[in-house]
Amino acid sequence: MGKSRRKEKKVIPPPQLPPDVGEEEIEFSDEDVEFVKENKEYARFVSRIDTTAINRQCVGEAKTKTVEDKYEEERSKKKVAEEEKESNEIQVDPVDVLPVKTLDGKLHYRTVTKRSKLAEAEPDEAEEDVLDDENVLNKSQRRAKAKKSKKEAKKQGKEVPKEIIEEEETPQAAVLAEVKEELSAEETFENKKNRLAELGMQLLSDPEAHIRSLKEMLDISKEENAKIVKLCLLSVLAVFKDIIPGYRIRLPTEKELEMKVSKEVKKTRFYESTLLKAYKSYLQKLVAFERQPVYSQVANRCICTLLDAKPHFNYRDNLLSAVVGNISSPDEVIRRLCCSTVRSLFLNEGKHGGELTVQAVRLIADQVKSHNCQLHPNSIEVFMSIRFDEDIGKRDREEANKKKFKKNDKRNNQEEQNQVQENERKKSKREMMSKIRDEVNADYKGVTYEPDAMERRKMQTVTLSAVFETYFRILRKTMYSIGESSTEEDDTTLNPGAFGPHPLLAPCLDGLAKFTQQLDLDYLGDLMNYLKKLASSSSLSTNLKKKKTKLLTVSERLRCCLVAFKVMRSNLNALNVDLQDFFVQLYNLILEYRPGRDSGEVLAESLKIMLCDDRHQDMQKAAAFVKRLATFALCFGCAESMSALVTLKNLLQRNVKCRNLLENDVGGGSVSGSIAKYQPYATDPNLSGAFASVLWELNLLTKHYHPAISTLAGTIANMNTSQNQTFLSAVTPQQAFADYSLANETFEPKSESRKLNTKRKRDSGGEEGKDVPELDMGELKKKLKENFTILRGIKEDERVRMELQFEKKKPTKKQSNLAKKKPTKSPKSKKKI
Amino acid sequence: MRPLDENETTVVFEKIFKFVGNNLKNIVENPSHEGPEQDPGRYCFRLHKNRVYYVSESLVKRATNISRKSLVSLGTCIGKYTHAGGFHLTIMSLSVLAANAKHKVWLKPTSEMSFLYGNHVLKGGLGRITDSIVPGDGVVVFSMSDVPLGFGVAAKSTQDCRKLDPNGIVVLHQADIGEYLRDEDEL
Repeated sequence: MGKSRRKEKKVIPPPQLPPDVGEEEIEFSDEDVEFVKENKEYARFVSRIDTTAINRQCVGEAKTKTVEDKYEEERSKKKVAEEEKESNEIQVDPVDVLPVKTLDGKLHYRTVTKRSKLAEAEPDEAEEDVLDDENVLNKSQRRAKAKKSKKEAKKQGKEVPKEIIEEEETPQAAVLAEVKEELSAEETFENKKNRLAELGMQLLSDPEAHIRSLKEMLDISKEENAKIVKLCLLSVLAVFKDIIPGYRIRLPTEKELEMKVSKEVKKTRFYESTLLKAYKSYLQKLVAFERQPVYSQVANRCICTLLDAKPHFNYRDNLLSAVVGNISSPDEVIRRLCCSTVRSLFLNEGKHGGELTVQAVRLIADQVKSHNCQLHPNSIEVFMSIRFDEDIGKRDREEANKKKFKKNDKRNNQEEQNQVQENERKKSKREMMSKIRDEVNADYKGVTYEPDAMERRKMQTVTLSAVFETYFRILRKTMYSIGESSTEEDDTTLNPGAFGPHPLLAPCLDGLAKFTQQLDLDYLGDLMNYLKKLASSSSLSTNLKKKKTKLLTVSERLRCCLVAFKVMRSNLNALNVDLQDFFVQLYNLILEYRPGRDSGEVLAESLKIMLCDDRHQDMQKAAAFVKRLATFALCFGCAESMSALVTLKNLLQRNVKCRNLLENDVGGGSVSGSIAKYQPYATDPNLSGAFASVLWELNLLTKHYHPAISTLAGTIANMNTSQNQTFLSAVTPQQAFADYSLANETFEPKSESRKLNTKRKRDSGGEEGKDVPELDMGELKKKLKENFTILRGIKEDERVRMELQFEKKKPTKKQSNLAKKKPTKSPKSKKKI
Repeated sequence: MRPLDENETTVVFEKIFKFVGNNLKNIVENPSHEGPEQDPGRYCFRLHKNRVYYVSESLVKRATNISRKSLVSLGTCIGKYTHAGGFHLTIMSLSVLAANAKHKVWLKPTSEMSFLYGNHVLKGGLGRITDSIVPGDGVVVFSMSDVPLGFGVAAKSTQDCRKLDPNGIVVLHQADIGEYLRDEDEL
């Protein structure tokens, strides 16, 4: 009570005046005038007001001022504030929108800010932003509770005096004002960071108790500062990652809500529902932010991490569609994130039970369809991470077989029953056992998270069909774009787009090579036809108007041949098929290869798989390839020559008859067949007549600048006469290509110094300033001569020795030839021989 | 001896086309280096006593000097006409066919002998087979060391061959080099 008396002596500020209405506007009706005249007595109190008492109360001990003065002051302040606000606000008639009373007792009239024009003109002013933001908040929180509006009014109340203070400063001190703003902005930044951290820690320590603070954290994301928003998103992400339970939340139905439940259950229900709501709003925000370029990277990272960490939780479909939507985005960071997420989804199927794989694959297939195959290659490369059970197709066939056999068994069973009568007790015992087994199985299934074997197989079949659908669509599109279709298509559909003419072809072919084991044999024929057409695309275009972008590049065609061979090899159990057409293609592609434009690694790989790994080769074909590879090795740099020579060596070692090419026997002898002359430009290896030629190129290659190539050429040339015939090269063409490519060039050509010396000898006149010291040319010549004569002598001796030994060993040599033939034939033949 | 007329030429070419496909032009336009003339002549087909021969032009010129009754054979005999007017390719055309064959089949060593006795080729005896064979195509049969053994007609396509059981017939026998011993008199 004492306190209240003391309080009475405090200054009570006069209440705010209602809005001013001009005197002219006030209209008095006749009824009003009559009323006042009649009731004059009641109006006398006005003359009796004790102004001093009121002054004392309202203004305090300062006697100079009166209430009116105070009102004047306030009005001036208000005017200033209003002038400030005039540019931004339109005062809303209090009839439309009621004023709000803040906790301090202030009345606050709601205002609507003037938009756009001024806001654009002065983007730097923080006050503008604040007001705009508040407007946004106003709109978004119309549905919000009263607490939120009071908070906002509080903020506005705080900011009004701030504005007044700033307005009173002179424009020269505007810089100071800005600095102050920044400082205050930094302070708020720090405050908000700390607040975020606090809330986060609280939530992590005891999620159930502090679940409401999630909403507060989410509110912070409505700030204007981009950094704060990003921090907020990331911290909420971290919180969710830890809080989300390991099961899907199912909200209780109405019936369950009506039931009486214990406090514990109520608590968990509340917790779950708030968590779910918060999660939903967070996800909506993420999706909205993703479209803004400022936040797109952060939003994408949040989405990807959530999907990766908790793929079993609610709303995963939305997350997945958002991720897959970005799988081909032009921004590399986002694309890499999304691709790695999808890949980890495929690899960790246990987390989500395989359903997400099916969905993801379906979504990607739809994307490919809608974009008409103009996507970044990464989007299809993710398919390589999918794992399939090996026996999907086989089990179906086995089941079909079993069904057939079952019918037979029934007949057999009937026959048996007629013959043998089973004991009743034994039957019932068996039934009991099977019943128990079924029950146990059912219980087990209910408990485990893993999908049923049947379900799993179904899902995998669906995934597989979607994957192959995508691959075939890409193949078909490539076929159309190179003009294989009968109808003329518009050029608009063939515009390359951002990723090049056939971006998806390479990963598509790789994927086909990997998954061919799952493909049914019926489709293999179609697939081979497609590949054949693709590989031979350039030779079939007859229409001159067609642009060159339509044709497949050499590397793409090589890849087609490669894939065809891999497909064939993986289906080897049925039949050993000789792919004639692809050999013809390879033969021609070797001629068309150009080192800068085409990928040498693909060429090396195709050489290896088509020529080196093949178990049995047609003689004519092998000889044709040998001859062409030797010519090829002459034309290009070190790496290609090396890979060609390695293949050549391999072929010569395996096909003994081809060694006739090493002998100086023009005309081919008996092996050449009907073709008497070598046709170097023949398109078909079988008709080239290679047996009628000799490998002169090896002689030239022994003089190659690179020592490795010259030695290898020398070894090949001496293959017939060298002693160890059984040595098979362990180096593959790919390895050779990689080792000797220009990037790994380490040695220095030795012949340079010799060339320099000869030049100097000719221009012995006036050459000075060279670092090489003066040599006595005569001595050098002598020494070199000696050296070379010695070497030549050694070589001659060796050759003569070899020849003598060769003549001695002739009868035994044939046996060794036969003996060498054995490993090349199939193991069955060994038994016979 | 006379050159073939229109109908006969079409019949012969059709038969050869089944085995050789587009390489037919190689057979027809093959330059021959026989004879003392500088310019390489061509090979051509001649009919003599119901048999068709594949001869180089220079040889034909000289063969016209021999009378009809005395002439036994010239060049390579490709095949002969039946009484009904149909044409069959004989084993002696193997060298011409094998060099230009489109569809080939390689036999395992175990089943070579069986084929040389005149039996059909079974799937279990197949070592290798070229892709894209259509039933009814002419197929040349080789051993694993690329020695031509004979020829026949394909009974199944390559795709169907995969699903066949090992005793199914893949190539129907038409001629093999064992006939040189068996049917010595008829050739």
